[in-house]
Amino acid sequence: MEFEPKDDFDRELRQAFQRQPAPPGLKRRLMDQRRRQQSARIHQRVVLWQRLAATLVLACTLGGLLAWRHVRQERRGEELRQQVLTAFRITNHALDQMNRQLASHSGGDQE
Amino acid sequence: MTRDWQPDFEQLVDEHQSMVFSLAWRMTGDRGLAEEVAQDVFLELDRNLPRLESPLHVLHWLRRVAMSRSADAMRRLRVRGVDLWVEMDEDPSAPADDRFSPLGARLEQLLATLPEAQRAALILRYQEDQSPDEIAVTLNAPVATVKSHLQRGLKLLRAKANTHLKEYIRGV
Repeated sequence: MEFEPKDDFDRELRQAFQRQPAPPGLKRRLMDQRRRQQSARIHQRVVLWQRLAATLVLACTLGGLLAWRHVRQERRGEELRQQVLTAFRITNHALDQMNRQLASHSGGDQE
Repeated sequence: MTRDWQPDFEQLVDEHQSMVFSLAWRMTGDRGLAEEVAQDVFLELDRNLPRLESPLHVLHWLRRVAMSRSADAMRRLRVRGVDLWVEMDEDPSAPADDRFSPLGARLEQLLATLPEAQRAALILRYQEDQSPDEIAVTLNAPVATVKSHLQRGLKLLRAKANTHLKEYIRGV
């Protein structure tokens, strides 16, 4: 060390502070735990994807249902519109006929 | 950006387990806790490996995380009211190895009585042979603070050694 002269004490410290060997089972236990964590992570990912897929299916079903309802309502509205138009056409036709009859009657009276 | 280095987790464990375990053991003073810390550090390494760019980067990362996780573990124990180093003199599992001289083992035990910051600086200095600048980076502290911890720690350790080791030598 720059600010401390090296002496016997320093050497003794250096010798005393050598790295200790790790316990024999440390690596095995570590690798086991790593495997467990990896499989837990994979499981979590699978569950996440399953939830996402389920949400997607649910959203699609709900969207489809709403779209189908909307289309059905539109069709029904169109049918009603056509019915009203047909009723108007019939009424119009009947009124025309009456008008023609009235016109022919009033022509006959004048003669 | 692509990198040439392809890390092999198992090989990294083989290479660095002794370093990580020793740092944790000397910081916490408890073999079981040091093992737990070492496992946590390596599992965190596994998650962070894609972000590490070289073997040297891994080494620095491991030192930094090992010191930080050891300090966290000790803090958690302190909150629960357990002080591991208090019982060290009677604890046969405390860091002392047959390979070293009894004097060295005793020195290491004396280190355990130092304040945490000084102990951390001395461990990195003498176990990992780091310079004060490198220790400052590892501990995320100013260099001046690290130098002060090293000087005070060494002074305190010398003083303790003068008292305790004389008694020890007389006892032997």
